[in-house]
Amino acid sequence: MKTITRRRLLGQAAAGLALSTMAGLPAHAQTKTIRHFWWGNPERDKRTFAVIDVFQKAHPDIKISGETIGWGDYWTKMATQTAGRNMADLVQMDYRYLFEYVRRGALQPLDAHVGKSLMVADFDKGPLSGGMVDGKLYALNIGSNSQVIVHNTRVFKEAGIDADLINWTWDDFAKACEQISKASGGKVKGSDDLALMIEVFESWTRQNGHEFYDKDGNVAATVDDVASYWQFWSDLRQKDAVRPKEKTVILDIPIVESGVAVGDAAMSHFWSNQLVGIQAAAKDKIGAAMVPHKKDGAPGQFIKPSMFMSLTRDAKDVDTSILYMNAWVNDPEITKILGLERGIPASPRVRQALQPALNDVEKLSVSYFDAIQDKVGPLPLPAPKGAGEVRDAFMRIGTDVVLGRAEAKDAAQQFVDDAQAIVERAR
Amino acid sequence: MKRFITRNAPGYIFLSPWLLGFFLLALGPILASLYLSFTRYDMVSDPRFVGFDNYVYMFTRDRRFWKALDVTFTYVALAVPARLIMALCVAMLLDKGLRTIGLYRAIFYLPSLLGSSIAIAILWRQLFAADGVVNQALAVFGIQGMAWITNPDTSLYTLVVLAMWQFGSPMLIFLAGLRGIPRDLYEAAEIDGTPKWRQFTRITLPLLAPVIFFNLVLQTIEAFKTFSSAFIISNGTGAPADSLLFFTVYLFNEAFKFFRMGYASALAWVLLIIIAAFTAVAFLTSKYWVHYENERD
Repeated sequence: MKTITRRRLLGQAAAGLALSTMAGLPAHAQTKTIRHFWWGNPERDKRTFAVIDVFQKAHPDIKISGETIGWGDYWTKMATQTAGRNMADLVQMDYRYLFEYVRRGALQPLDAHVGKSLMVADFDKGPLSGGMVDGKLYALNIGSNSQVIVHNTRVFKEAGIDADLINWTWDDFAKACEQISKASGGKVKGSDDLALMIEVFESWTRQNGHEFYDKDGNVAATVDDVASYWQFWSDLRQKDAVRPKEKTVILDIPIVESGVAVGDAAMSHFWSNQLVGIQAAAKDKIGAAMVPHKKDGAPGQFIKPSMFMSLTRDAKDVDTSILYMNAWVNDPEITKILGLERGIPASPRVRQALQPALNDVEKLSVSYFDAIQDKVGPLPLPAPKGAGEVRDAFMRIGTDVVLGRAEAKDAAQQFVDDAQAIVERAR
Repeated sequence: MKRFITRNAPGYIFLSPWLLGFFLLALGPILASLYLSFTRYDMVSDPRFVGFDNYVYMFTRDRRFWKALDVTFTYVALAVPARLIMALCVAMLLDKGLRTIGLYRAIFYLPSLLGSSIAIAILWRQLFAADGVVNQALAVFGIQGMAWITNPDTSLYTLVVLAMWQFGSPMLIFLAGLRGIPRDLYEAAEIDGTPKWRQFTRITLPLLAPVIFFNLVLQTIEAFKTFSSAFIISNGTGAPADSLLFFTVYLFNEAFKFFRMGYASALAWVLLIIIAAFTAVAFLTSKYWVHYENERD
């Protein structure tokens, strides 16, 4: 044992005090510590902490400090940490926010490490390039995603619906909704009322042949797009074929309160990596359908990188961070733990390795992904600043239509005006 | 100087934890927010000075700012009197010398302790949901209830009811005030055959005026600052159709959802000025209706 001098004792006490107030700094000088921050849910957190355990066992000199919080608070906390120059070394990044963070200098490019300590040579090019900004790689894809209409297979069978769920149209969809509501005597509605879901409206707009935002970040969706979308749902509501308006105007309901989970509606809209979560919440077996199409319309859906991992400006131990990052997308033991919960992995090798161990719902995600590959359109450009607020405005103004307090046409005009004002103000 | 130190030092020493806390933890952020209110600041890049832009935008172009004011003022105008009346009624009931009075006071105070918590807001949302307890109770009497919280016409009133139910702290203060009214006044009135209602308006209310004033000011400030219940019940958005867009909810969204720290700071200062103005008006008018015992001649 080392002799403890008074000075050393004092120094250690002071250091200990400083450390205890500054979470995230190395607990022992010998150990390298990096912080990993992600938005999660119980299932994802469980898997991620398991990954951290595995990684730490393989690298006893490295300590990973995991921080997690729900999506709603994630960006708040991240912005606060960014302002305080105290970002975690590695953060989970979303396509929507990637450009914002890169342009403000909060992330480091990864190009210097590619091929040396970060192995991504065999990755699918699409998902990988989704993480590039201005020609540089800022975000490593850890899973891909697409829109999906989840449906209750038992209810579909009982109502005798035999539509082609990959190639179906909005007319087929509406018919199915009416059929289901009628078959169940109104007890089970055809679908959640998706009038307030801008994610579905975005597909609708693309089917009309243009994007929601143009390349300059202006609102390109037209009043007609919005009005026809809201009118479509109003008609279904009128026919009592979708979930009642009282449930529709509760915004951003958790998965467990969606119609498919509760059992009072047969269809709902999600992202494909949520299939695992919704199956866990639903009583019946679920199936996956595409967002309906317009007759002879352009493809509305797209495959997007659902989640990225990014190296931040504040990362101190870059080498260790990259080591951990690399393990995430290449280490077989780790990719097995992660499974498909964050989306479809971009490495074909990993996908192949996962194949035998997939359960039913994971198999469903993979087969759904295979089925839609050539039906989807290109990834839209990243949304401009203010897109989050535009989403809120869509829900807020749409609420008036759902509650019958405004005509679809008038509300649509107001939304387009407001949305454009919002993105202009955010510039 | 020496006398000053020996006479006042103990006072300052005892005050020092508060003073330190104020100067280190409160004053800095307050001044920072005043500065930020003149900037554009997204928490990622550095703040950029924009002069009075935030304030000009707020008053001339921001429709939601006026909507938030509308919701908040309506709430204050309804919730404060409702809560005070409720508090006074319960205080008068409890003023009778019951044996187990302490227990009752504790029980009646309980909702206020819980009331500010998230749990109660969630409970409230369940109670007033379309298939919630309130509607189930109404159904017993054959009344078809509505979706109280998801209907923009009624959602605000559910919060007023919640505010009424959290009458605990003004009630305790009223109780103390009632205890301070000399019993002999009532006895004298009783002998003169004054009806109860007149005793209330002629003895209780006037003598309680200072306490009413105190509660009014305090509760008005509280009501302006209402946040957690509205935030939870509206899922953080002020929905449906902005009917629960309380000023603080709007402010929070601007700051932490849309990263407009500068604008949110400006909103915060406007709220501060509104609250200060209301308090000032209350104090200025108080000399016409609040009389203190020691000025009775």
